[in-house]
Order: sequence, then structure tokens, then C-alpha cells
Amino acid sequence: MSIEFRKVTKRYGDVHSPLVVRGIDLTVPKGTLTTILGPSGCGKTTTLRMIAGLDAPSSGQVLIDGADVTLLGPAERNVSMVFQSYALFPHMSVIENVGYGLTVTGVGKASTLQRARATMESVGLAGFDERLPSELSGGQQQRVAVARSLVLEPSVMLFDEPLSNLDARLRRSMREEIRTLQQRLKLTVAYVTHDQSEALAVSDQIIVMDAGLIAQAGTPRQLYEQPGSEFVAGFMGEALLFSATAHSDGSVRLGPLSLRPRRAVAPGPVKVAVRPEAWAVGEAESGALVASLLKTAYLGSHQELTLSTELGEIFVVSPDVGRAWRTGETLGLTLAGGGVSVVAAGAGPKSQ
Amino acid sequence: MTRLRTLIATAVAPLLLAAVPPALAQDAGQLNVICSVQAEWCNMIQTVFARTSGIKVNMSLKGSGEALAQLIAERANPKTDVWFGGTGDPHLQAAEQGLTLEYRSATLPQLHGWAQQQAAQSQYRTVGIYSGPLGFGYNTELLAKKKMPAPRSWADLLNPVYKGEIQVANPASSGTAYTMVATLVQLMGEDKAFDYMKALHRNISQYTRSGTGPIKAVARGEATVSISFVHDGPGEAMQGFPVATVTPSEGTGAEIGSMSIIKGARNLENAKKFYEWALSPQAQQFGAAARQFQLPSNKATPVDARVPDFKKIRFIDYDYAKYGASNERKRLISKWEKDVNSLPR
Amino acid sequence: MTAALNRGQRSARRVLAVWLALGLAAYTLLPWYFPQKLTLWAALPGIFGTAETASGVVQALSHGKPWLWSGLAGLLLAAAAWRLPAGRTQGRWLLAGAGLGLTGLLISGFTIGAAGWSHEWLNTAFGALPGGQLGIGLGGALALLALLMLLGAGLARLGYFRGDLFIAGAVVFCAALLLLFVALPVGKSLIGAFLDEAGSLSATALADRLAQERVWGLNCLVGGVRCGVAWNTLFLALLTATGTTLMGTLIALYAERGNRRLTKPLNVLALLPIITPPFVVGLGLILLFGRAGLVNQGLEWAFGIPPTRWFYGLFGVWLAQMFAFTPIAFMIMRGVVQGISPGMEEAAQTLRASRLKTFTTVTLPLMKPGLANAFLVGFIESMADFGNPIVVGGQFAVLSTDIFFAIVGAQYDQGRAASLALILTGFALTVFFIQQRVLGKTSYTTLSGKGDAGLVMPLPDGVRKLCLGIAGPWLMFTVAVYGFAFAGGFVQTWGRDYTPTLAHFRTAFDLQWGAGSGAGSSAGLGASGLVWAGTAWNSLFTTVKLAAIAAPICASIGLLISWLLARTRFAGQRLFEFSALLAFAIPGTVLGVSYILAFNVPPFELTGTGIIIVLCFVFRSLPVGVRAGTASFKQLDKSLDEASAMLRAGTATTLRRVVLPLLKPALAAALVYSFVRSMTTVSAVIFLVTAENELATTYIIGRVGNGDYGVALAYCTVLIVLMSAATALIQFLVGERKLGRRQAS
Repeated sequence: MSIEFRKVTKRYGDVHSPLVVRGIDLTVPKGTLTTILGPSGCGKTTTLRMIAGLDAPSSGQVLIDGADVTLLGPAERNVSMVFQSYALFPHMSVIENVGYGLTVTGVGKASTLQRARATMESVGLAGFDERLPSELSGGQQQRVAVARSLVLEPSVMLFDEPLSNLDARLRRSMREEIRTLQQRLKLTVAYVTHDQSEALAVSDQIIVMDAGLIAQAGTPRQLYEQPGSEFVAGFMGEALLFSATAHSDGSVRLGPLSLRPRRAVAPGPVKVAVRPEAWAVGEAESGALVASLLKTAYLGSHQELTLSTELGEIFVVSPDVGRAWRTGETLGLTLAGGGVSVVAAGAGPKSQ
Repeated sequence: MTRLRTLIATAVAPLLLAAVPPALAQDAGQLNVICSVQAEWCNMIQTVFARTSGIKVNMSLKGSGEALAQLIAERANPKTDVWFGGTGDPHLQAAEQGLTLEYRSATLPQLHGWAQQQAAQSQYRTVGIYSGPLGFGYNTELLAKKKMPAPRSWADLLNPVYKGEIQVANPASSGTAYTMVATLVQLMGEDKAFDYMKALHRNISQYTRSGTGPIKAVARGEATVSISFVHDGPGEAMQGFPVATVTPSEGTGAEIGSMSIIKGARNLENAKKFYEWALSPQAQQFGAAARQFQLPSNKATPVDARVPDFKKIRFIDYDYAKYGASNERKRLISKWEKDVNSLPR
Repeated sequence: MTAALNRGQRSARRVLAVWLALGLAAYTLLPWYFPQKLTLWAALPGIFGTAETASGVVQALSHGKPWLWSGLAGLLLAAAAWRLPAGRTQGRWLLAGAGLGLTGLLISGFTIGAAGWSHEWLNTAFGALPGGQLGIGLGGALALLALLMLLGAGLARLGYFRGDLFIAGAVVFCAALLLLFVALPVGKSLIGAFLDEAGSLSATALADRLAQERVWGLNCLVGGVRCGVAWNTLFLALLTATGTTLMGTLIALYAERGNRRLTKPLNVLALLPIITPPFVVGLGLILLFGRAGLVNQGLEWAFGIPPTRWFYGLFGVWLAQMFAFTPIAFMIMRGVVQGISPGMEEAAQTLRASRLKTFTTVTLPLMKPGLANAFLVGFIESMADFGNPIVVGGQFAVLSTDIFFAIVGAQYDQGRAASLALILTGFALTVFFIQQRVLGKTSYTTLSGKGDAGLVMPLPDGVRKLCLGIAGPWLMFTVAVYGFAFAGGFVQTWGRDYTPTLAHFRTAFDLQWGAGSGAGSSAGLGASGLVWAGTAWNSLFTTVKLAAIAAPICASIGLLISWLLARTRFAGQRLFEFSALLAFAIPGTVLGVSYILAFNVPPFELTGTGIIIVLCFVFRSLPVGVRAGTASFKQLDKSLDEASAMLRAGTATTLRRVVLPLLKPALAAALVYSFVRSMTTVSAVIFLVTAENELATTYIIGRVGNGDYGVALAYCTVLIVLMSAATALIQFLVGERKLGRRQAS
């Protein structure tokens, strides 16, 4: 394991302050990209800073490559970080920024220059040596920040919401670049974001945090298709949660619909999380959920529908771009198969 | 550039500190003097004594109040050897507090009675080196322009025509003004004196900090009349200012400028040499050379024509012992503060 | 990762080794005490010799000073810990060693004086000592420093200060400096307020002194003569603080955001009053507004209004203080205005805010830390100001002048002086706490690492006119008064004889060739060649030298302290900040006397040397460096520090490479201010100057007291020219902070 947290807690202030991180265990395997995902205030940035060494845990242990680094400062762990604001030194040129880590650790001038240039080339910034950060665009600044961290050949690289300041198209290309870089260099990366699609796209492992605790950790597929709790189900994708009943014969009744979940669930009240794309929209036949169309939106690659049903308002994404629906139409919704998960009602995040 | 600066600040500064010249030297051949008379006089003394005796004189110029404060603060480890000049009361206070050394000069018999008396009163811890009467200074041009009469007596000063035209120093900070208070008390009796000062208060424009402030203001036209030592006047007149002086007809007091050796002086032998030299007739002429026209204490000193003729002035019998004691000073000054200074104008 | 660990460990070991070596060298190779009559070079050969010049080891061995072994024992104990791995054990050893050394040396220092025990009760308790000891010299000082640093290292190893050696060392060092050179002297002199006539503690003495009508009376509100001195001081301070903050902000805005071509001349002009010796402003104003001054004469000639002394009093003092303190407000506000990220204003403007609206809702609030700081500085400067009230105050009494009178007056009443100083300090503290509340924890970060490339928004028209309308005349007024000041040195006798002459310059700054002794020149004549025959050279050289030494020290310590306050968290930080700013609130006179009282006897016997003057300079100007740094730090993004830390830079390196270059305005301000302030301070040093260390200002005041206005003004002219050159030099050396290259098109 490259990064390991054992029963780590964190509070700011004295012993009466509330815990920001309430006891988490996590592992980040070597050479993988793990995303820490969660809404604002869940403690993900604090967790990242504890990996970095910028904050020390109030209790628990932090291990990197098997060694206990809990009490060590950032300079003594081989960890690099790309900040949300990039934190480029405004009074230094690009080449000075990138070479900073080498310069302060005593690497010779020639060697620094050469390594810095090589790293800049690998992130696509060749020739930008003498520019000042204020003269660069957002994407370029981010590359400088990445290059600056990369040049030190760290064993762990941390990213604190690196794409939040970029526009959508740039976001996609930058996240691909980061992922490619990570895979090529076999870096261990811990990545913090609040954007779940970003997390799904780049991660080997996603850790979802909620209010200082880890809700669930697993591969993107696991988290998306088998959420372990209401929270995770609601957070990953825009799933809607419905109350349903599980029967002893293994089926789950959701309104008029009957489902057979992949894993057996104990009889009783359950919650069913349904992804917008899981619904199949058809005619109002028997056995289907009767729905009345409230709104439609055409998005080129798909259409979004909002329907009113006995289960409440449902948001549906349909790949059928040819069909022109009319508001007020009565339609029938069925569940095709995938995109549905069943969670025991009241299942909360994993606690210690 | 930043490197350079950091280097300088952190590495060189301590070395510079160490290389800063040492404190007062104490080899034979040095003398540390606080001089409380005018700068030119002090410079002359410094140069001439250094030349004639070969002793290096380190002189610092301080008003008598400030000099006393410094001596008190340094008492545990004095850095000064001699205190030269300045009005007598602070010297008497220093003597009272045990800051100065008892020393009888061989020249004492050659001095005027008042100087010997000064020495005796302080248990020979200080000696008078000059004396100057208290009086009035006035700006002749302003007087003429405003058609005001020249003041001739204490009573004249109460004339309402002088309202806002008179300046005198603050007795709390100036020996000159305290001399005035003590003089009036001895002249009129304490109650009448304070009534007088309350009446005078209405004519005062400002109580200055230093004793020579009022005469300078008069010279430059900032005030019309000043109560100050008469010997300060001719100096201003020689610079071209229209200043004249007069002593009050009812009677007046005088200051006795003094000199003391500091107890615990590091260069005691040199201090004594200086002391003797300062009391000699040759040394006492420098006052006049510096345009200060006090009466020197050594009877043998040739007296400059511009020094006021003491025989023509009516002096009161000033009791230096009583009015030089700290308790009496404090009492009178606080009474003045409370009864006079707090009044409206 | 092991490589990084080793590198960190190795450098920490190196640091410890350096301090240990320094301490041991101080004990064996340097004179332990301060021989009053020898320089360092002269004393060095005697380190194995006499009791005056011997090194610490020799002193303890052969000169009967066994208490010195404690320090050495402490050092050796700490040295034993050197090889230990970094951790709590090593921390405990270091702490034990440093603690032993420090307590041993300090206790022996404060209880054993020049002639045995310092206090009577020790004599009765332990019997008289055979001999005493002199004040601590270079050897002792360096040994104490080494022990102090080892103390810091020990604390760091025990987990305090997050294990950061540099921060621990810096905090311990600065705290020791503040304790020794601010808290100790000030405490010693303020205690005087509680002592009665006999010298013993008495609560009633304090109550009696404080509850006087002279201090707290409110007569003037009901038509009486005057108000209590305390109210006067507060009221004046309020007026001055408001006025200077306003004026300084207007000038700063115009200089930075108005007509760019005028920026340089405006900077120079607005800063001129700072480099003026205190006397010039007062005299110039009197020459203009005094009873015999030009304005009054003019009024009399034109309108027949008889001249009066209307200028003296509250108005005169306020005007003089405005003159004196607007430049400081300007310097603070200029740094703040420069630091406002233009991106914010651009954002507001794109949100349809007019320039005026942007200005009032975005720019002004972002300037709040600077405004609050400038206000506080102006307030405290006014309260502690002495030179102006003395010259133009008339009958308007303030606390600082009353304190001066209490000390140097015909009645030397230290108790009264101390009690008034207590009140003054109380006021300053109250203002300080209020300001903390107001600024609080709000973040004003605008200078972040995102490479802000915005263009500066020009001022809205209304504001621009305001600036021009108020700041313009003020600056012209400045020029006028300076004209007078310069002219004064060139005329024969001001007020009487206006023939132009160079006689005064010659008196002060005569240069002659060949061997000779010029009449009236101070001690120290050149043998042959160039003879500095003028009477002023001695004081000029001394002042420049001492001020030049003090300025970098003051700026470094000030910025270091402000960094410690802004970027670190440790227990006792509030107290730390408070003592750094304390020297500000203490009036100059009290500080001067308290320095004499505190440093006249061993262990720190410094009176009569240049060192005590340098120290007085440093700690008097320290607060402004701290404040300038603090205001600048509020605008620097914290993540820049963190990024540097993540890139393996140690704390010291981060400070040097990242923080310091971005603090250039604050650094320049601190350097300039402390140099200039040192050159022009009067009241604090009036008791510290000696014949050998005479300062320019005391020389000038002496001349003024003597009526030699010509020479005084000539000297002032030379000083002003000199300080302008120095200011320009500092600005040039430190450089401007360049962050963006786009010019307005």
C-alpha cells in the first residue's frame, strides 16, 4: 500500500471543537489514482492535506510506503501537491517555478534547467520558460503547477480540485492528460474533487466521504452500480431514491413495478436507487408506471424528461432523440434492468 | 539583492555592533563633562581646557533639568565626571540626593560671598561660578508700535495694557521661573506673592518650557515682555534684535550658576583639575566671550562692561538654602500649578 | 523517501552543531565581559589574561567566577543530545541543557553586580561576595544566544511549533529580544507609578497620582480653562489619526491610480515630512503662522487684524502632526493599494457596477486592513508625539509633554511620570484591542498564486476630484514650508537680517586641509589631510552610522515577527504581538529613561555606548515594520507558503525566496522608516547621548535652544538631503514588486 490511514481524526482548535474528520481508514494502492469524492464540507480537502503533511492528524496514523509519517512535515515525505489555485509564485518565471523544488534541494543549476525543461515538455509547455504566471491562461498555469510537482519525481502526487477553475472542454482534455500522465509514470495519485463524473472518468478507486466519514470505497463501477447506502446512491450519478418493499420471495415492489435485485435483500422496507437512464419510456401499458410528461429538453445526444408519477417526480434521460414528445402526454415507465440498485433503508455511511 | 541584504542584516550587523566604539574611555587623559550653559561657552571651555591641560574632554550639552534627570538615572554607575553650569537649584538638589562629591577648592576664598555661601549650603558639594539677576526683557520696537510703557517694576507688569504680551517659563520645568516664584515669595510674603502671580497670569501669553524661551520670543517679536535673566538680553541685542533689559525696582533675586563633581566619577583627578581651572579668573572670562554676561564668581576676574552692575540693582536677601531644598520647591511649584496655572485668562 | 528524511535530518543536525560550536567558541575564544574602555580588537589578545578581558572558561577557572560553569554545563549537556535521533528524548536533553545554562547565567547575571551581590537581602542571606562581575560582553551574549537557540530546538523536538526548528528558533529569539529590550525596561519604569516617595510599593500612591483634576478634568467642555491632560491627548490623537489616514489614503490613491506620470514625484513629496528633523516643521509653521509670522503680518497689513497667537494650541499641534504623520499613513496605504488585485475590480465592473460603485463596494472594503492599520499608527504616533506639542502646543498640554516635565522639570518626579506613562500605555492598548476586534479574522486575500493579470482601474471621477482637491493643496503647502526651511539656513538671522550667506553651513560643516585644530571643533581631529573642522561632523557621522546599523536589524526583526504572527500559530501569540507593539505606545522620554534605568548596571551594562542607542532605535521603530508586514501578509495567499513547503523548501528558504520578494513594499517601508526615524528621533535619545555619541537631533535642539536658528536650519537642510538620498537608495536596492507586464492600452 502506498498511502494508508489508520483511525485518523482531525479537529481544528481545542478539544471542544467538532471533529472535521471523524475516524477514517483508507488505503491507496501503489501506482493507482484514487479520488476522494464528496460534497463541500465532508472533509476531503482536510484528508488530502493530512496526506500532504500540511495538517497533522489529531489522532491516528498516516503511513506512506509503509513508513509512519504522521509527525513528519511535507518536506520530509516524498509527496507533491497541485493546489486548487495553482499557487504559482507570481514573481518567478515559469522555468523558475518549475525548477523551484530542485533548486531548494541543492540540485545544480545545469541539472535543474535540464530536468525542468524536460518536464515542461512532457506537459506540453516547451518554450514557455521566461513567461510570468500572470501571462498564462488557466490551462497553461495548471500545466505549470503539474510540471512543478512532477519534476521532483514524487512517490505520491496530490491534486486538490485541479479542474474546478477550467472551462468544460478544457476540463475533459486536462483530466485525460492527468490520467495519461499518471498511468504512464505509474504515479500514486490522490485526487480530490466534488465532480462525480470526473471521478468516474479518471479513477482506479473512488472513496466517497460524507460528514467526516467514509461512505464507501471501491472501483467506479462498484460505486456506481452497487452503492452501499442512500447517500452514495444519491451522490453518484443523479439517481433518485424511492421507498419500496422487499418481499420474502426476493422481489422488490416499487409501485406497480416488480424488480429482482442482483443481491438478495432482507424482507422489509428498502430504498431503490434508479438512474435516470435506467427508465424505459413507452406507452402506458399495464404493468408499467403511469407517468405524465411535464417537461422535455433536447440535448443533442439525448433527451431529458421530467414526468409526474405516483412515486413522485421522476427525471429520465432517454437516448431516443428521434421521438418528439408532447407535454402532458401520458406515458408508461418500466425498468429495463441495469441502473437500479437496492439499498436497505436507513443504511448509513461506514462508521468506525 | 535580497541575498545581499539578508547577508548584511544577519551576519554583519552583530559584528558592527561589536566594533562600535567603546563606552567612555577611562584612561588618564579623559574627562566627561555635562555642560549646562550656552553652546558657544561650552565649546570654548572644552577647546581651551583640552589645549592647556592635554586632557581629552568629552562634553555633552544638556539643560540643567535634563542633566539632573540623567544623573539621577545613572546614579548606580555614573558615566559623568563634572557638571558645569546651569542654575543653582538643580545642583543643590543633586547635592541633597548625594549625587555629587564633597570637595573644597583652594580657590574658595577668592570667590564672592554668594558663591562661598552656595558651597557651604551644599556641604561643599557644589560651588557658584556665576551669578545673574532676574529681571525683564522687552522688545523696544513692539513697545513703541503699540505705545506701551516700558515696565520698571513688578507692579508695572500687572498693567492690563500688557494682556497677552508677557512670557515667562514654567516653574515646573525651568529654574529661571522658579527663581521668580521664590523671589516673589521672599519679596511679598507667600500669600501676597500668589495673589500677584494670579493677577500676572492674566497677562501671560505662554509659559515656555525653557528659561531662555521668553527672551528669544521677545527678540523675535513673538512676545513683548519677558521675565528672564538679565544677562541673556545683550546676546540677543548683539545679533541685531531690538531687546532691552531692566531689573524691577522693588527688588529682585538672582541665580547662582554652579558646578559640581559627580560622586563616583571615573576620572576624579582630571575632574578636580577641571574644577580648579574653571574657578580661575582666566577660565571665567569665557562667559563674556560667548556673549553671556553673568557676573563671574571669582573676584579677580575682569568684569565685562556689559555685565549689569550689581551695585545698582536692588537685591533681596535670597535664602538659597531654604528655597533650594526639594521639599520647598515641590510645595511651591505644586501650589503654583494648582492655584495659578489652572486659572483662566 | 528515505533520501528526503536523511537530508532533513542531516540539515537539522548541522544546525544544532553550529549553535553548539558557537556557544563553545563564545566560552573559550571571546572575552566574556564588556571591557568598557577597549574595543573588541584590543580585547581579543587578552582572552587568557586579566579579569576584564578573559574568556568565560578562564574567568570561571582563575578569576573566581564559578557561576559561569552553569552555562558551560548546559552547553555540554545539550551537546550530549546531538547524536540522538530526532524525537522527544533529544528534545528533553536539549531542553534540560539549555534550561540549565540559561537559568544559571541569567540568575547569576541579575543577582551579582559590579561589587558583589546586587541586592541587600542577598548580602544578609549569603554573606558578601569576594568580587563582582562586569556587564556581559560579546562572549556572554553569544553564549546566551546559543543556549537560547538550543532551547528553541528542544521545544521543537518536543512537538511544539509543529516540530519546525526554524519557527521555534525564531519565536524564542524574538521573544527573548522583546522581553529584554521592551518588557524589562518598560516594566521597570512603569513600576515607578506604584512606588511611593520612599520607594516601596503602594496602591494608594498610584490612585493619588492618577485621580487628579489635571489629568481628567472636563472643565473645557463647560467653558472652563482647560480639560484634563488625558482628554486632550485622546482628542488630539483622534483628530490626527482621522486626518492622516484620510490624507494618506487620498495621496496613495492618486499616486497609484490617478495620473501615473505623477506617481514618482508624489511619492517623493508626500514622504518629505518623514525625513524632516522634528524641529523644522515646528519652526516653519511658526515662521508662517506665529504671531510674528508671515501670515499674521500679512493679515495685519491687509485687513488690520492684530496678530495674535491663535496658531499655538490644539490647532497648531494638529497641523504639525498632520504634517509629520501623513507620510506614514501614505506608506501603509500605498502598499495596500498596490496589493489590491485588479481582478476583483474588473469583476465588479463587469457586473455593471460603475467605477464609483466598484470603488466604494469593492476597493474600499479591501483596503480595510490598511485603513485600520493606518488609523492605529496615526493614533499612537500622535499620543506619543513630543516634539510638536512642545514647540507649538502653547498651553495645550498633552500626556507626553507632561511626562517630560515631570522628569526634567524642577521637580524630578518619576512616580508621576510613570503614572502618566501608565495612562498613555493604557490608551494605546485599548486602541490596539479595538483594532483587533474590528479587523478580526476576515480574510482579505487578493494576491494569490493565480497569476492575476488585471489592469488597474482608474479612479472614479468624484474620488479623483476629491484627491486632487485635498491632497493637492496639502502637497503645495508642504513645498511652501520646505521652502522656508531651506531658506532659513541661507540667511544671516531669520526674522531680522535676511542677507544671504553661507556662514552657517561653514560653522557646521567646514572642511579644511592640512594639520590643524579648528577652534570649536569637537574631539577627534584629523592629523593631516582632510580636517573635519565643522562642529557638526561628529554628530552627523555618529547618527548616520548608528541609524544605518539599526535599520536593517529593525526591518529584519519586524518582518520576522510579522511573519510569525501571520503564518504560524503558537501558544502566547497574543502576548508576543502585544509586546512587539508596546514600544510604540511608550513615549520617547519614558523609553529613554527606562533604558538608562534598565541598562546602567550589569548584567547588561550598555549606557554610554552606541549599542544602547542602536537598541533604542531598533525597538522604537519595530512596531511599524511589524504593522507594515502584517498588513501585507493579510493580502498574500497562504497557499504560496504551502506550495513552497510541498516543494521541499524549509521554512527559512520559503521565507527568503517566496515571501520576502513579495513583501518588497513592506520591506522598503520598514527600512526607510526605521532609518529615518532613527535619524530624527529626539525625546528617546536625549538621555542616551554622551559626548562620544552625540546625535544630530540633540545637536540641533541645542542650537535651537541657543537661538542659532541659522546653523540649525543649515544642518536640517543637509540632513534632509542626506535622507532623501538614503531613501532613494533603499528603494532602488529593494526594488519594486513586479507581477504583471500588461500596460494599459
